[in-house]
Amino acid sequence: MSLIDFSKSEITFKIVYYGPAMSGKTTNLGWIYRMIPDKVKGQFTSIATETERTLFFDFLPVELGSVKGFKIRLSLYTVPGQELYKLTRKSVLKSVDGIVFVADSSGARRDDNINNLADMTRNLEEYELPDTPVVYQLNKRDLPDVMPVDQLMDELDLGGKPVFLGIASSGVSVMDCLKGITREVVSKI
Amino acid sequence: MEGQLSSLVITKEDMDTIDELFSQYLVDSQAKDIILLNKSGELLAKSGTVTRESAVAVSALAAGVFSATNELAKLLGEHEFTLTFHQGKETNIHISLVDPLILLAVIFDNKAPIGAIRFWAKKISASIRPVLQKMAAVPHQEPSEEFRKGLQDEIDNLF
Repeated sequence: MSLIDFSKSEITFKIVYYGPAMSGKTTNLGWIYRMIPDKVKGQFTSIATETERTLFFDFLPVELGSVKGFKIRLSLYTVPGQELYKLTRKSVLKSVDGIVFVADSSGARRDDNINNLADMTRNLEEYELPDTPVVYQLNKRDLPDVMPVDQLMDELDLGGKPVFLGIASSGVSVMDCLKGITREVVSKI
Repeated sequence: MEGQLSSLVITKEDMDTIDELFSQYLVDSQAKDIILLNKSGELLAKSGTVTRESAVAVSALAAGVFSATNELAKLLGEHEFTLTFHQGKETNIHISLVDPLILLAVIFDNKAPIGAIRFWAKKISASIRPVLQKMAAVPHQEPSEEFRKGLQDEIDNLF
């Protein structure tokens, strides 16, 4: 649910990074946190377990600047990817405006990508948000056992959808994905 | 199925009314901070000593806690829990549902008895509800094509 505050001339969008466990969602947010100047970013809040896996969500508020006299703010969230946290994932998705789906390009994670994408689609349908804009990041393209792009896109049925090839740990396509999803959510306002 | 609004619009007039109510209640209730947020975790209004940066983070976490608590409610056969309360050594936070999409978080120090906290949270919710109903009743106006296109064109400059 975008929030349009005329008293402060601000528009806030909620963007969620979704995807299977260890696919690089928190790494994406971490990179954004490092790239964005201090004065336009808020506190990076992370609720992690002792092994640094996301337990609840990561949260990073970002102020992009002004367009047409309105300050554009993004609330960036990640979900926990592990199967165990199915209900937590659903609750973080509540009132989402846009999603970056972070897939793991490793051949060994094929089923995890497919199942997690199906889980996301199901949750969006339950929230009556099936038309939520999604951009897709095929992450970890530097791994030795990556699936070919065409095959991965085919398996996830991504033909005609906005897809970015990423290496989030070194920032490849991180900002492009954020820009891509920002364009999509703004077009839906 | 859980219906949701596509966007929430706050006018300056609505915000002034909320700010005024919160400032008064801050004095009357001796609460440290009053924060209004939506269920998706966005800060709508705040009053008290809390900084905007902290209030933004509190809103995201409070909505997360509330949402997780409601999944718990469903597992237990309840439709929804309408409030959660966390008690600390120095500070307490009371999070309650004001209307189907809006939450109120009131932060007190440890001197306030729990009965008083509940009383004030209820009273503030009751005062704020008509303002929220008025906000929801205003028909959602689509931004002009020109405005939307302008936003799109300028997005590139933000990155």
